[in-house]
Amino acid sequence: MLDFVRQAGIIAGKDLLLELRSRGRIASMLVFAALVAVVFAFALDPTEPVRDVAGAMLWVTVVLAALLGLGRAYVVDREEDALTGLLLTPVNRGALFIGKVVANLVLLLITELIIFPVYGLFFQLPLWDPLPTLALVVVLASVGVVAVGTLFGAMTISTRLGETLLPVLLLPLVIPVVIYAASATQRLLVGRPTAEVLGSLKMLLAFDIVFLVVCTLAYPSVVEE
Amino acid sequence: MEILEPDLGMDPVVQSDLGPLKPIRRWAVRLTVLGGLLVLVALWMVFFYAPTEREMGIIQRIYYIHVPTAWLGELAIGILALCSLGYLWLRDDRLDAIAVSSAELALLFLTATLTAGPLWARVAWGAWWVWDARLSFTLILWFINIGYFMLRGAAENPEQGKRFASILALVAAADVPLIHMSVYWFRTQHPKPVVMNPEGPTAAPEIVQTLLFSTLAFTVLFAGLLLYRYGFERLKRHLDLLRARAGYDGGSMEGAVRR
Amino acid sequence: MEKWFGGHPAVQKIDFSLSPGEFLTIFGPNGAGKTTLLRLLAGSLRPTRGEVLLSGAPLDYDETAWRRRIGVLSHRTFLYGHFSAVENLRLYGRLYGVDAVSERIEAGLRQVGLWERRDDRVGTYSRGMQQRLALARTLLHDPEIVLLDEPYTGLDPHAAAMLRGVLDHLRDGRRAVVLVTHNLSQGLELADRVVVQVAGRWVSDEPRSSIDPVAFERVYTERVGGLA
Repeated sequence: MLDFVRQAGIIAGKDLLLELRSRGRIASMLVFAALVAVVFAFALDPTEPVRDVAGAMLWVTVVLAALLGLGRAYVVDREEDALTGLLLTPVNRGALFIGKVVANLVLLLITELIIFPVYGLFFQLPLWDPLPTLALVVVLASVGVVAVGTLFGAMTISTRLGETLLPVLLLPLVIPVVIYAASATQRLLVGRPTAEVLGSLKMLLAFDIVFLVVCTLAYPSVVEE
Repeated sequence: MEILEPDLGMDPVVQSDLGPLKPIRRWAVRLTVLGGLLVLVALWMVFFYAPTEREMGIIQRIYYIHVPTAWLGELAIGILALCSLGYLWLRDDRLDAIAVSSAELALLFLTATLTAGPLWARVAWGAWWVWDARLSFTLILWFINIGYFMLRGAAENPEQGKRFASILALVAAADVPLIHMSVYWFRTQHPKPVVMNPEGPTAAPEIVQTLLFSTLAFTVLFAGLLLYRYGFERLKRHLDLLRARAGYDGGSMEGAVRR
Repeated sequence: MEKWFGGHPAVQKIDFSLSPGEFLTIFGPNGAGKTTLLRLLAGSLRPTRGEVLLSGAPLDYDETAWRRRIGVLSHRTFLYGHFSAVENLRLYGRLYGVDAVSERIEAGLRQVGLWERRDDRVGTYSRGMQQRLALARTLLHDPEIVLLDEPYTGLDPHAAAMLRGVLDHLRDGRRAVVLVTHNLSQGLELADRVVVQVAGRWVSDEPRSSIDPVAFERVYTERVGGLA
């Protein structure tokens, strides 16, 4: 068990260090998310209360940015076939998956850390008051999206359509996350009490647990023949 | 240097035993014909036996088709998920053949459901689409179904295609309860305009009977079509193997078959 | 064992054993299934029929500790361009559970002549240097079984000579080495046992001592060379 965590840590560290060196993914994710916010600002009628759709806007943006990051998660591992090299080592395949999930999660959380305040700024959203609960919603929802996305990212990148196939496969599957996260966020932004979003939080947690387990178990079949 | 003769024990062509296909074919034909006849009877019942619904008129009769197709679409997805799990576990090619046959039928029935649904909604609620929980859920299943075929088609080789598609089916199966819960919960947050109760104050016995019979008829037809498609898929795979063998040898199809 | 891909038999009924200290060279044209055979031996692929035995025990694909005993050098280097040589080796060292990792990294890099460039990103290396680093990576965890898939590809004469030197070192009596190559002279140089694989089968399996290089080259080019 400890070995599993240690190995996952090595893999996550490797991915994050590589990302630090190349900065490719995080930059695209951040710039993309910011631009989506700008597009929304111009697409929406400024006289209408944006607060009503803020939850939806935020989560659509997050999911799209996540797709961008998850689609390219395996590019460096395929350049010189390093993934095969990793699979030749005794590393636990589940740990390999979780390490990848952690790294992708960190990148997504960093993106959200920037993007939520940007939206708050653009549309005068009261993010500060509900912050602890809001942060919890963000973390739980992100784990779910990244867990499923890391599995399917591994699949799609080794197909002929590549990462362009990822949205087609991932979006229907993460609709529950979007429903609960957007709804909870929306309520928190209009000042509803935390108690009202507890149900959504529980569902997000359930999603996370189910898919962390299912995807970890499915991962070896994806990377090995 | 001496050339050793290959041992064909594990030859997939030999393994792809076509023996059971004859009875499958027979049953496929029987069930399809029976199903077809039952559907004709059901249609008669729909138009002549069941009473015309007071408020909705003729269009209400689409209900008798819509409900069975929805049920069968979901059944087909269920079969797909089960056989995909079986395939991943046992790596038996036949399970994958059932899975892909079921996936195709699922697409057929789900599309039918999504076509009939808006027609119904227009008459019942005045709008073509009102994010009714059932329809929304069906829509998501439909997209997953499309994704299944896109993933299969985009794979680098058929084996990868089967493996990946099965994993997708598995993950989708785990997701279905959550999608169901979330979509229905979403619906309760956004009540639709309830114009009328489509079934009337009491469901007349003729209505219930017609519905049940129609469901039975379509289910029999579904079973027949599934067997038909499965038989066809097995034959197709056998042919592909023979072709691969012939291509590899640089020889003819005849030679491949003989061996 | 056999390995079928769909209807295509990549490896047909190859049955052999390899002893410690044995250096086996496999020649053969493209498409003979040599890479597939190596992948089966490395445990990357499962045979359709038959099994791979390591020290008499079949490979357990769910458990992974035995992978520590095998080292693989392929024509892809398995390296990360954004990492330095040391960082790449440290990653693999940690995953293989190598003791005294820093010392072994230094020894390995010196052996392939890359110690001076150890902190440079591998993306800046030439092809030959990358292959040398890949060799260091292969041997980092001191594997008993070394599988080399066309390691001379893309190497300049200097690097090739260095590779030959390292391979010679591997013939220490306790390791088993399998070398797949197109290059007849390099393959014959160090081999104890020479095999020719064509269309998934072994058509020849002779001890090196019974082979006359000139005759072998003539027959090979005649019978097999045309198939490449």
